[in-house]
Amino acid sequence: MTESIALMTSKKRVLAALKRQPVDRTPCCNPTSVATVELMDLVDAPFPRANREPELMARLAATGYTELGFDSIMPVFSIIQESSALGCKIQWEQKDNWPTVKMREPIWQEPDDIEIPSDFLTHQDTSCVLEAIKILRKEFGDEVAIIGKTMGPWSLGYHCFGVEPFLLMSLDDPDRTKLCLDRMKKATIDFGRAQIEAGADALCLPDHATGDLVSGEYYDRYLRELHIEFSQEIPIPLILHICGRTVDRMDYIAQTGMAAFHYDSKNQPLESMEEVKNRISLVGNINNPETLFSKGVEEVTSEVEKNLEAGVQLVGPECAIPLQTSIENLKAITEGVKNWHRAQKN
Amino acid sequence: MAVMTDIGHRVELVPMDTHFHDITIALYQQVIDERPMYCVHSYSSINGAAERLEGVRAAMMVLGEMQAAVEDLLQFPCGHDHVLPIRRLFLESCKIPPDEEPTARPLQIFDKKAGTEVAVAKLGNGTYEVHTDSDYGVNVDKRLRVIAGGLVKLGQLEATDAFKVTFECGHDHDALLGLLLVRAPNVRAAVREQEQLATRGVLSAPSQQE
Repeated sequence: MTESIALMTSKKRVLAALKRQPVDRTPCCNPTSVATVELMDLVDAPFPRANREPELMARLAATGYTELGFDSIMPVFSIIQESSALGCKIQWEQKDNWPTVKMREPIWQEPDDIEIPSDFLTHQDTSCVLEAIKILRKEFGDEVAIIGKTMGPWSLGYHCFGVEPFLLMSLDDPDRTKLCLDRMKKATIDFGRAQIEAGADALCLPDHATGDLVSGEYYDRYLRELHIEFSQEIPIPLILHICGRTVDRMDYIAQTGMAAFHYDSKNQPLESMEEVKNRISLVGNINNPETLFSKGVEEVTSEVEKNLEAGVQLVGPECAIPLQTSIENLKAITEGVKNWHRAQKN
Repeated sequence: MAVMTDIGHRVELVPMDTHFHDITIALYQQVIDERPMYCVHSYSSINGAAERLEGVRAAMMVLGEMQAAVEDLLQFPCGHDHVLPIRRLFLESCKIPPDEEPTARPLQIFDKKAGTEVAVAKLGNGTYEVHTDSDYGVNVDKRLRVIAGGLVKLGQLEATDAFKVTFECGHDHDALLGLLLVRAPNVRAAVREQEQLATRGVLSAPSQQE
């Protein structure tokens, strides 16, 4: 942060931070979801409809900017949109819960089963995202960063093959696994590019090679090259999202050319910054279940400050926030960032 | 669209009110002139939502003997916050359908495990004693202790002895105690219910999903 930087729009602030360029203050960024049941009521856009109807999706997403004060808007709340378009069965749930893929009913078993349907981008659940981005772009112009989301092939593998079969395949037959990943990557690229056309400024790319099940070595073996390819094929800043303890792969992630890594609270801000060595921006990492959901403003502010003091480029929740999170705590993120910068100036 | 206002600190939430269009209803605490006050709030602006909130407020006044304060706020007559019991009071009040008249619970329940009626006697200054008039046996004695312990946990009460509990404010809260007494024999179930409600809507990584 440089003091001489003139006041920036939210969009410029986010995009500059993603490039590790100077900013007027650290942007508050939500690459996943900040939707809550109370915000759903505020704009009359409840789940599950807000995951399937573009007007509702856009309306609910906009509250992250208009009500909470984030510098970005992210309309893709869930991680199931493209899996639904690929043919997976979805448990849509109710207002107070997340839609999930029925992974016990996998749609593919073999690499040859993989087929990206011709209506992949016109399916209700992918076109809803594209339409929502268009609505937001029209409404907010260049005021705020609009972040889309395209799921990586490892996550799609879990959804379409089932978690256990996919992991077992990765252990038993690396070549077959790589073939699967290679064939699924088209969905990631196509959906990402379609969102750029719709007006997205950046894309979150969740690829759940999570710390609990997949090692850093696995990331290097299966995903590093693919992620390099994504950053070359999708021409806007990409924010890779992987949950869990991931310090063991941050060095690899920093080599992918992605703009940023959305990191989990299981990693300390300072150790993570030291690991990535300014090769990639970090976004995060306010803890969801313990801090944002169960604690208060003071604890949220303390985590915000920990990130700011470590030099984390964009501050926000570690992942999609619990739907019952209080608005008070979410506003504590954005207010915490602004107050910290004010204090620095003084 | 509803307007977002500063309504205080949220202490409890019902994410979906099954009695009224699945709206979200929350209980917020504010401190006005050093007195804790509570606001039953929803961001929903659909027709009838205001009446539904009024119904919940009315239920809290009956089930917990709360008093109306300024601008739709509620307060305890003693002026204390009673954060833990009010959360239970709010949850129970939201369970009452709009067309049902709330009635205060008596200071007596039938405890299945003891196989007898268990009552709570008011001793004054916020102190109550759990007792029974039936034949006193080891099992009954154990149950009375469990129920007293349940009241302590659910209501943030102090245990004066094995059977006596006291509200920290030193004031009587008969209706509130009657409400807590229903759940006191099985605190685990009450806590489990609250935990289950709270953990809905937490997104886990695909590897952690079913």
